[in-house]
This record gives sequence, C-alpha cells and structure tokens, in this order.
Amino acid sequence: MRRRSARRRFSTPGGLLAACLVAALLVAAPVVVTVVQAAQGGFSVAGTAIGSTSTLTLLLHSIEVAAAATPICAVIGVGTAWFVERTTLPARRLWAVLVVAPLTIPPFVTSYAWANFGPSFQGFVGAAGIIAFSYYPIVFLLVAVALRGLDPALEETGRSLGLSGRGTFFRVVLPQLRPAIYGGMLLIVLDALVEFDAFVGLKFQTFSFDVYAQYQLGFSTSGAAALSLASIALCVVLLFGEARLRGHANYTRVSQGARRLVSRYELGRATVPVIVAMAAVVAISVGIPVGMLVRWFVESSHAALSSAGGNLTYLLPATLTSVEIGVAAAVLGLLLALPIAVAAVRHRGPVVTVLERTMYLSFALPDLVGAIALAYLASHWLHVLYGSFVLLVFAEAILFAPFAVVALRATFGQLERSLEESARSLGSGPLASFWRVTLPLARPGLVAALVLVFTFTLGDLSTTQVLLPVNLYTLGTEFYANSSTVAFAAAAPFAAVLIALAVGAAYLLMSRFGTVRALTSR
Amino acid sequence: MADLECRDLRRAYGEHVVLAGVNLTVPEGTLTAILGSSGSGKTTLLRIVIGFVAADGGTVSIGGTLVTDSGSVHVPPDRRAIGYVAQEGALFPHLTVAQNVAFGLPRAERKHGSRVGEALDLVGLDRRHADRRPHELSGGEQRRVALARALAPRPALVLLDEPFSGLDAALRGETRAAVLDALAAAGATAVLVTHDQAEALSMGREVAVLRDGQLVQTAAPDTLYRAPADLDLARFVGDAVVVSGEARGGTVVCTFGTLHVRGEAVMGPVDVMIRPEQIRVERTAVGAGVAARVVGLSFYGAETIVHLELAEGPRTAVNARTFDGAGAAAGEEVRLLVNGPVVTYPATDSKPDERGEAATPTAS
Repeated sequence: MRRRSARRRFSTPGGLLAACLVAALLVAAPVVVTVVQAAQGGFSVAGTAIGSTSTLTLLLHSIEVAAAATPICAVIGVGTAWFVERTTLPARRLWAVLVVAPLTIPPFVTSYAWANFGPSFQGFVGAAGIIAFSYYPIVFLLVAVALRGLDPALEETGRSLGLSGRGTFFRVVLPQLRPAIYGGMLLIVLDALVEFDAFVGLKFQTFSFDVYAQYQLGFSTSGAAALSLASIALCVVLLFGEARLRGHANYTRVSQGARRLVSRYELGRATVPVIVAMAAVVAISVGIPVGMLVRWFVESSHAALSSAGGNLTYLLPATLTSVEIGVAAAVLGLLLALPIAVAAVRHRGPVVTVLERTMYLSFALPDLVGAIALAYLASHWLHVLYGSFVLLVFAEAILFAPFAVVALRATFGQLERSLEESARSLGSGPLASFWRVTLPLARPGLVAALVLVFTFTLGDLSTTQVLLPVNLYTLGTEFYANSSTVAFAAAAPFAAVLIALAVGAAYLLMSRFGTVRALTSR
Repeated sequence: MADLECRDLRRAYGEHVVLAGVNLTVPEGTLTAILGSSGSGKTTLLRIVIGFVAADGGTVSIGGTLVTDSGSVHVPPDRRAIGYVAQEGALFPHLTVAQNVAFGLPRAERKHGSRVGEALDLVGLDRRHADRRPHELSGGEQRRVALARALAPRPALVLLDEPFSGLDAALRGETRAAVLDALAAAGATAVLVTHDQAEALSMGREVAVLRDGQLVQTAAPDTLYRAPADLDLARFVGDAVVVSGEARGGTVVCTFGTLHVRGEAVMGPVDVMIRPEQIRVERTAVGAGVAARVVGLSFYGAETIVHLELAEGPRTAVNARTFDGAGAAAGEEVRLLVNGPVVTYPATDSKPDERGEAATPTAS
C-alpha cells in the first residue's frame, strides 16, 4: 500500500494536480449550478420544458447544423492546411493569415453579413454555412501543426512501397492526422450545438434559441436550466465518445535521429485550380463579412451623417472596454489552462484525462445559461462580484479556456521531455525548470493561447450581454444594438474595429500556434 | 565517498517486468558501463538512479546517502546532485553555450565566475564557443557542451545515456576520448549506458551486462570478453565460435584437437567457446591443425573475417578474424589452429542449430 501511494505521488506532482483540480472545478461551476437549478425547478418544470415538441425540433436543428457543418470544416481545414504547409502554393503566409482570419472575426458580424444575402441564407443553409466557414480554421491550425511534425521518411517509404502521391496522402498522411482532425471536429461540434451568437442575424431557430426564449419570455431560470440538461448530456457523451474513439492512439514520432526538412510538393499545373479553390474559401469566409462592412460604409456615406457620426463618440470607449475585458480574460484563461495543458502533455493518466475533459464542459451550456448560472452564483455566495467587471472576465475566461488548453498542448507537445529533465538534473526544481526552460521555449504557444481567448472574448455577445456592468458598453454590444435595429450604417464602425483586430489576431495565430521559439537563425 | 550502490532494484510497466532485482556497485571515481540490447531496461535503470522514474522495489544510495527506497524515500532529481547527459545532449536551444553550462550553477556564479570556462576546458572545447547557440555546433561539440554542463556544478556522480549515439565513427572516437579525459580530470564516479559492445569494453573500468532485467555479469572488460559467465553472454559481447567437446580437467578435446581451458577444471561434455581472433589460418593442406575450406572473405579494412567450413564431420561453419585474411582465397584448403586458452560451458542438450551459426551439429 505504501509503495502504491508513493508511486502515485511521484507520477503527478501534487501541486500541479491541485492547480488542475481548481481550474476544472471553476470551469465546471456553471454546469453544477445549472444542474442544481434544474433540480430545484422540479420534475414538472423540467418535464414540460424538455418534453415540448418545439424543444425537440430545435435540438434536432442544432444537431443537424453540427452534423452538416463539421465534416465541411474537416475537409476545408485539412485541404487548406495541406496546401499551405506541404505544397509550393505561392504567398503561403498570406494565405495562412486569410485562412485563419474567419475564426477571429466575431460570429455575430458574420451572421448579419450572411443574413444580408437574403431569406434563403437566413435558414439552415446560412446556419450551417456560418459554422462551417467560421470554425474550419480550428481544424486548419491543428492539422498544420500535425503536418509540420510528420516525419518525411514515412511518406517517402509509402512512395517506395508503390503508393501514388494520392495513395500516400490517404494511406500514410491522413491516418496520422486523425488525432488532430478528431480533436478539431470535437471542438466544432461542441461549439455548434450551443451556438447562439452566430445565428443572431438569422431567422433560423436552434436549441440555444429555445433556451433564450425560455429565459427571455417566461423569465424561467429553471426551465432554461432544465433544457440545458439536454446539452450537458450531449456534451458529456461526445467528450467521452471522442476519448474512446481516440483511444490510446499515439502518433508521435517513433524513430530517432536527425529529421530532414519537410519537402514541399510541386503544384505545377494544379497551381491555378488550387489558388481558385483557396480563393473561394477565403471569399466565402472572409469576403462576406468584409464585403458587408464595405457596403455598410458606402451606404452610410450616402445616408445622413448624423446617425453614424453620433455613434463615433462611443467607438473609442467601446474599443477600450472590449480590449480590457479581452486582455483580462486572456490572462485568466491562460492561467486556468496552463496546469491542465502541462499535465495532459507530461503526466497523462486517468485522473488527468478526466480533469482535462472537464475543462471542455464549458461547451456544455449555451453561453446565456452559463452566464446566468454565474450571476446566480455571485448573487448568492459572492455578492461583491455580482454585476462586476471581474465576474464578466471570469465568465469569458472559463468559456474559452478550452481553446487555450488546445493551443498550449499543441506547443508543449513539441518540447522534448529531456530538456526539462536536464534542467531537473542540474538542480532546478519542477517550477524553476518550467520557468527557466519550458516557458521561454513555449512562448509562441502562450501567445497563441492568449490571442485565442482574447479574440473569442471580443467576439462574444451572449455572455457579455448578461454580465456586462450596467454603465459599460463594448464593440460587440454596440454593434448588436445598432444591427438589431437595422441601423447598419451606425454599426459599421464597430464591426470595422472588430475585423481589424481579428486580422491582427489571425496573423499572430498563424505564426505562433503550435510552435516553439524559432532558434534556427539569430 | 561518492560511490553508487543499487540494491535489488525492481520496476515493471504493467505486466512487463523491466528490472527484476538489479544489484550494482560503482566504486568511487570509476566508470562503469552498463551494456544491454535495446529493451533490456538499461535506460530505466539510469532513470531510477537519477530519480525520473520511481522504483517498485529496492534502494539507491549515492555516497552512502539513501536517495531511493521504494515507498519511503524519494529524493527529487534536482536534489540528487547527479550530472546527467541525455541522449542527443538535450542542450537548451534558447540559451548560448555559456548559459547552458552555467545553468546548474548557483545564481551568483552564473554570470561572474570562472566555472564556465573551466568546464569548457575540462571537455576540451574552445572557449570561443561560449557565445554560440547549440544549433551552431557540430554533433560532437554539442555532446561536449552537454558534458560540460553536467560537470559544471561538480557532481559526485555523472550518468551518461548513450552519449555518443548518432555520431559518426571518427567523431565518436574523438568524443569518447574527450569524455574519458574530462571524467578522469573531474574525478567523478560515472555510469555509462550503451548498447555498443566496443564502447562499453573500451570505456568502462567495469562493464555490467543487463539482460532480461538482471545484471548477468559485472566484471573488468577483459574478463567479460575472455571469460563470459555463460554462452549467451559470450555471443553478446563479441563474436563466438562454439563447438562441442569433452572436458578432461585442464584441457578439452574437440574438433580443433586438445585445447587448454581457462578457469576451473571440469570433466564431461561441454560447449567450447573460441573467439574468432584465436583461430589461426595456415595456408597448407597438410600439417598441424584441423582441415577446413575457405568459403569466403569479409573485408573490414583493419581486419578481415575468413569464413570457413570444417572439412571433416558435419561441415561446421567457423569464422576466423585475421589481420589480412592470411592471403587465402575462396575454395582454398587450409588448416586451422587455435591460439590461447578457450572457455567451456556445461553442454546444452538443446538442439544444436538453435545455438547460432557457428555451433556444431553433434553427430550422436
């Protein structure tokens, strides 16, 4: 017995485990509160809310959107990553920024842009299209990292065994990308099921809309909570399903020795068709929101200047508030994600896996419900925080911490364990080794994690609307206030700032995600 | 007082037993090479000593201080003061050579202090390299920096995990010599882990062979090579010609005639182990020795292996290691003589063809 406990203590440091536990508990708090609220409402409320046919229809809508959009994300994500990372596509860095940009453009901006195209885009097609073309960069980023890590000798061996280029891709490359693809698809499915912001401009109703209606019209917290049980259950099933699917798959490089630079495939005659395909993806994903923005600006110059001009005085304070919230949430989200990411890469085991999966429970609730749960928690237990800036920042941080975990894992996975071990053997404790070796090398990954949480916070609407302190306004709330009253010209400047920030974020993500500090040149 | 002592170390990963009770003593100021094939558990042993892996059972003490006692004592790696040179070196890529070497020094000594220069001198590396980055160094230089980094804090014990893997032959020899000199100058106790027989035999004051999670023999290199504990070991540490014979006290009678036996006198049926360099090839069809035919030659530069087939009996295959191939050509009839004493092992009754390419198919 003594031996057993000694080994466990040894395998995962207690301090790290405690930090992971705290992070997981904080992220899971809204889910726990929601379950308790649903229980308080009693079986009758829950039964009525869940049992209504409209709820089932709307839940089905959400599932359909997720099911339609996720495979598209996988195909676009893998395709674009392959062309950018492994072929002689001209202007690859520019393409990379453009391909990542849709992820950083706020979904509610994209939503209004698609809605502008007419009624046919305001239904299922629009909903699935927005999800597909906003979230495929998640697959792109993860697959790009995996592609950079592939040993070229494996592809060469495939070719030497008589496989064609295409055969090598499907039988050698694609199987190795599987963990990255599944991981990305899981994030997208989870997100799509509870998405609300991306559909604000549409007439398409999803599960989150139902929850919103329960809350907004009936003022029924327990009804909304009861409905959320459905999404919680779905989320848990998916999280563990994916864990089963992934199993013990280990696709890290087995062979040792120096690795050659990854070779790029000549596109040759395929160059033009590939560029056309890439351009089409970018035109849909980036062109639509940016095009809409341009149109609104053109219209606003024709319209009376008063409406737009009046709003400009709000632009600077709104930007400052948004950036403040974003930066604070990014730092907090990073702190929550760090211990889990370290443990998941360096101390894998059943306990760590459960804690890591718990982080993804932030996808279990529609944003609105999560925000309400936190407000409830604060009003009952921590009244100081109720209606405060801190609570909003906390809500955003736990909402997007899973993305920070993904970004950090992608980078920590590139760091060789022997570096940290050498530091330990030279007398540095676990924390000192992390500080002196791991962090300096993982800096790009930290930046990527910060940028992800920052931009998602900037592009968040539901949570902000519930928890924003009364006297404050952000780029998102101002955009929404004007857009929902069809004052598009007035909304345009706010969207412009959001998109400008998004492009900057896309550049940082493209160049930092899943990389360690570049040291090959001074 | 900085000897290393491992007692009954055990470790299993699930059902797979990696170490099954390892006892190892490394005397102060000496280098012991641990030789094992891949998967023999040698790296696990090293990682238990340094503290990266916990032992299921057994103890490790360094200079008389207990650092691992399964279940009750586990001194963390950073408090063991062990120098560690990882495979491939594991230099910190974000630091210069000087910063790498200074990493384990107390804060005050890192920037000001002569230790970095001393450590670089110790491994025979030009001090001009101090401001370079690891990726600007050659493979051999990187290993030297890794050793300098490990030696800088003056550890009493240094562990080297396959420190020369991935280096080409010339660089390997040069780096080996530099490492031995540096360790001797530092007076450190050292453990080197390797799968390379020549490396283990040439570097260790003692060589310990790890097989199936146990140390089967720990001995001086020449003892290990000339008198291995069993036949498998004999084949593992070098090439071996094995024939069956009849021991008669200090001698043994076999295909090669009556030969002197090293070690204790035994009686009865035995397996006779002869090293290929003990076999002398005489280019004459008649005379002393046993008749054989040259099957082919393998040229290695410094030496030539002559592949032979005994003329009488079941045409046993025999290899002889020679300086120049004795001038023989394939198909030639020659006679073989054995130089020096041979080693015998109690005869194995298993089917002879399982014993390897040079074993004698017994006539009975």
